[in-house]
Amino acid sequence: MRRDFLSLLKKDFKLMLSSKFLLLALGSLILYSCYINFIYVGIEQDIYPVFLYDPLHTQGAVSSEITEVESLQELKKESGDGYAVGIDASSGTPEIIMVSSSIHSTDRCRAAYALSLLSPANPTTAEVIGTDNKEMKSRREITCEFLFFELAAVGFLGLASMLFKEKQMGIIRVHGVLPVSKSAFILSKLCLFLLSDLVFSALLTVINLGVSEGLAVLPYVLLQAGILSLLMALVGFFCAVLLPNFKQFSLLYLVLAVFITTPVFLAGQTGIAWEWIKYHPVYHLFMAMKNAYWGVSSANGIYYTICGLTIVLLFLLVRRVLIREMAKEG
Amino acid sequence: MKGLRYQLKNIRRDKMCILSFLLPILVGLAINLLSGVSFSSLGETAFCILENDLSDSTVEWLQTNGSVTILPDMASLKNAVNDPATQAIGVMQDGNGIKTLLSGDELQVNKVIGNTLPQIYAEREMAALSKVTITPNADNSDALKSLLIVITMVTAMFMGCTFNAMSIIGEKEDGIAIINEVLPMTKKEYIVQKITLGFVGSVLSTLLTALVCMKITISQALPLLLLIVLSAFVAALVGLFIGRFSNGLMVGIVYIKIVMILFLAPPILFYLLIPADSILHALSYLLPPSATFYGLMDLLSGATQGIGINLVALSAHCLVWLLLFFVVEHGKHKKVFA
Repeated sequence: MRRDFLSLLKKDFKLMLSSKFLLLALGSLILYSCYINFIYVGIEQDIYPVFLYDPLHTQGAVSSEITEVESLQELKKESGDGYAVGIDASSGTPEIIMVSSSIHSTDRCRAAYALSLLSPANPTTAEVIGTDNKEMKSRREITCEFLFFELAAVGFLGLASMLFKEKQMGIIRVHGVLPVSKSAFILSKLCLFLLSDLVFSALLTVINLGVSEGLAVLPYVLLQAGILSLLMALVGFFCAVLLPNFKQFSLLYLVLAVFITTPVFLAGQTGIAWEWIKYHPVYHLFMAMKNAYWGVSSANGIYYTICGLTIVLLFLLVRRVLIREMAKEG
Repeated sequence: MKGLRYQLKNIRRDKMCILSFLLPILVGLAINLLSGVSFSSLGETAFCILENDLSDSTVEWLQTNGSVTILPDMASLKNAVNDPATQAIGVMQDGNGIKTLLSGDELQVNKVIGNTLPQIYAEREMAALSKVTITPNADNSDALKSLLIVITMVTAMFMGCTFNAMSIIGEKEDGIAIINEVLPMTKKEYIVQKITLGFVGSVLSTLLTALVCMKITISQALPLLLLIVLSAFVAALVGLFIGRFSNGLMVGIVYIKIVMILFLAPPILFYLLIPADSILHALSYLLPPSATFYGLMDLLSGATQGIGINLVALSAHCLVWLLLFFVVEHGKHKKVFA
């Protein structure tokens, strides 16, 4: 029994190697890491630039944040993008000139900020109560998003495409007459993909969060990644066995994954309050993963019970479908 | 023509393919149904306050400067400020003035506002006396909504790319590609056949999405059509490349994934972050979807003068990619029959 399972594992691993799956995972890892380290971390929204036209020097000491311009035309040009603010002090009293940002309250905020720069006497500071800085937050946020998308979209397709190939090669038919347990057939594939997903998650996390921070959240992340990987692999298995034209489905799936995960990412990362999002099952998976990246295991027993039950149910379902398919083939 | 008919017949049996061309249209409909209200709150500065802490006039003042959320106790206030998904600034009473709480991971704009808010509050009466001239923005449309519309349209165009790539990979796996090699069919005929279907599909899909989502005036119709046709052509060509270079379904999918990320993410980032007159902006035209993206954003905001340069950039892309494909094909052809 154990030897059977080991030889199954060996066969699946060879198939995985031949389909260049590991190489492609490595490629994705490099692509994502480059994007995070070179582009995403640098993204920043600067404070509204403030321009001052003050030919008579009526304003005394102004903040160093203010850029002085030479003419009214220049002032209007610089403050015309809906973000920057212009102060026209040519008449002696400062007047604010700006283009609306389409949001009334933000406009007022911009004007008030610009005026506050004219009297920089006693700068106030806020009390900082968090532990992360902006860079660390960005790293956690985007690593989580990439990992989630990679597991949800590609994890699904990885196992499914391998199974599909086996189906084409006739391996499923051969297995129908071999004295190998059907569960072992499924389990060996699940184990391999789970392992490769876990390694991928660990590498992605450690590379992009740094060694100490990465290792600190790794146990939480691996738990969530394991759940997600098992779920997606089983769903992929199910689709590949059941759908006759899986190849076309894979294309549709990739697009579906983008459209399904986009609202989830929006709700999870920007604080848009949508009531209906809590009925979106993917949202809960994503939030659990996100919390894991902040080292919080806020997911409760109900969540884990539902995940566990779903995995078991999917496994049984897949097993049934596989047996039916084998009976049909052989 | 006969080849084209064969391709059409091939696709008719393929329901998934038709579905995937319909998907962007459905998403377009969904975006249209979403009210703009849920998005506009995103651009506001968010303040979190404690119940029964600030005076009514202070709360009123805060509300004119951003959105205000009232929380029952200190712990939930700290949680709201620390929540990495939001940029909320905590505001509390401090003597006659106010003090603010930040979590430290905010964008610079919110950090600075959080730091200066007590000062702004102290000077609020003086600020109210200053004259403020606000020119209304040229486009009143919801920026995030147009961004979503454009993303959907670019995805629709991208369908042509995936479709072509998948059909070529499929033919390769089924062995039809080898049969094609010995058929009396020139490379040009083959490329025309392969491009046409993906191209027509993505043009139709994008056009329908545009009709659903955009209010098009007559003067915009022609630039929009040109933009869509050229972009769909580039996408179809990219699909040919992917099909050419990948030798298995899985490899193809990964290529498509990478190209999809490249097609969608950089244009959005460039659009949001890079000023329109910088060198980086000019460099971003090296990626074909950037031109599409900028062009569509311009059209959505009602501007038509910048569209020319986008069309030129797209045409250049069409030519370069087509030439490149012929060069690659030619090289390969020689190798096979040498």
